[in-house]
Amino acid sequence: MSPLAPPNGSPPRRREVTDLYATVLEVVKRYHGAARVTRVSYGAGMPVDRLRTFLERLLALGLLRSEEVDGRPVYEITPRGQEFLDTYWKMRAYVEILGPAQGRKAASPPRARSTTPDEPAPS
Amino acid sequence: MTAQTVPRGGTARLGAVEGDLLVERNARVDADGKLVVAGEIRCDGTVEFSGPVECRKLRLDDGDATIRGDLLVHEEIEGHDSGLEVTGTLTARSVDVDRRLRIGGAASAETFEVGGRLEGGATLTSQRVAVGGRLALAGKLHANRVETGGVLEVGEVELDRLEVGGLASVRGGSIRTSAEVGGRFRSEAPLTFGSLEVGGIAELAGGSKGGDVEVGGKFSADGNLTFGKMEVGGLGSIGGDGAGESVEVGGKLDVKGSLKVGHRTEVGGSITVGGSLEGTDLEVGGKLEARRAVFARGVEVGGRVATKEGLKAGQLRLGRRAEVTGPLVGGDVRIGVRAKVEDVYGDRIEIDDSAVAHRVAGQQVHLGDSATVDEVVYTVSIELGRNVRTRSPPRKVDALPPFPL
Repeated sequence: MSPLAPPNGSPPRRREVTDLYATVLEVVKRYHGAARVTRVSYGAGMPVDRLRTFLERLLALGLLRSEEVDGRPVYEITPRGQEFLDTYWKMRAYVEILGPAQGRKAASPPRARSTTPDEPAPS
Repeated sequence: MTAQTVPRGGTARLGAVEGDLLVERNARVDADGKLVVAGEIRCDGTVEFSGPVECRKLRLDDGDATIRGDLLVHEEIEGHDSGLEVTGTLTARSVDVDRRLRIGGAASAETFEVGGRLEGGATLTSQRVAVGGRLALAGKLHANRVETGGVLEVGEVELDRLEVGGLASVRGGSIRTSAEVGGRFRSEAPLTFGSLEVGGIAELAGGSKGGDVEVGGKFSADGNLTFGKMEVGGLGSIGGDGAGESVEVGGKLDVKGSLKVGHRTEVGGSITVGGSLEGTDLEVGGKLEARRAVFARGVEVGGRVATKEGLKAGQLRLGRRAEVTGPLVGGDVRIGVRAKVEDVYGDRIEIDDSAVAHRVAGQQVHLGDSATVDEVVYTVSIELGRNVRTRSPPRKVDALPPFPL
């Protein structure tokens, strides 16, 4: 289920790339500076090799920072990453409020939606 | 003492084990009544235990362990690249599993740390629960601190702090200090909370009570609500009566019953209240609708006011081209340029240029250029601009008629 998907059984929204970045940031945030790649991988429901690409991008944008602990990198969210999350969730809510009810005709299903599951955890 | 080993792919029937027990990949252990291991159970790969298990420590590596029965671990459960399923109850001092933890019965530990998902069929009791992905629990969640990266779906809660990255759904209870949720928060039964901070959407059951509420997008309470400071970026709605310290809503606020606010109410768009609206100060960018609205200090409305019994405030300011139905009552009242109002009562009333009013009753009255008023009564003074139109000449009276509200 998408974090903002309606709970009434309607199809979940396809996870877009910004959703994936937000999911990774949220999982990293919960580890309070001690997020290891494997844990983030399980938490975000993303294979490690794909996750590494996301982590590198987030590091490059200054949304995450990393340091070595016991020879392994651990990740931590930065204030800018938190700012991204705040904006992301607020925007997601507005899209849900404004989108389906007023912006589209009832007869035409929304094109951007699919049945791809997007919950962060692996099954 | 050397560890007893159940070899790869093998099956053993065991009761009591004095030292440690090593269970290799794809092995199975049948408990002879109950498997009691004085030392550590180490599982190397995917393994299965039939029957209840008790041990000092449980270590899981690179695979999933299934325990068909209850599990009691006196110290820690630690897993690396592994998951654990317990069909019965689970009791341990601490649990740390990378992949998935599934518990059929009640679970209890000082800490639960799960990288992927934690699923419970009954209650879970802990000091701290941290889950990277999803926490789903059919029963009650009783803990001091709960953190989940993705999704939390649990029954009743009794928590001190809750932090969820994505979606959190609970069936009422209490969150004593704070709930912080990135995406969406929903409580299907009345919730008592210290503070509630939600990035996207928050939905509370009627009868909920708490402190400050901060929601980025949309907030709704399906019934009565008591709160501290309410800050909502987009839409707010209360299905019954609301009572709080202050309200700040960026877009629109709908209250089915009455709303009583201790201090300031600020709404960027419109506020609709089925019953009475009370507070100290009110600022509305667009429209105010209520049966009655009474404010101790100032009221500023940019657009439209519609009340049945009236709007009363110490200082009342209505914007340019404002449209008002229902009486206005104030100490100082100022009606903007080209506004259209009905009856106005006050100590000092200023009707700006080209505004239209039905009846004006005040101690000191000023009518701007081209203002149109059907009837004016005053007790102290009147100032008239150019081209003021009145149906009957303004009358000085000894006492004003009784004010509504």
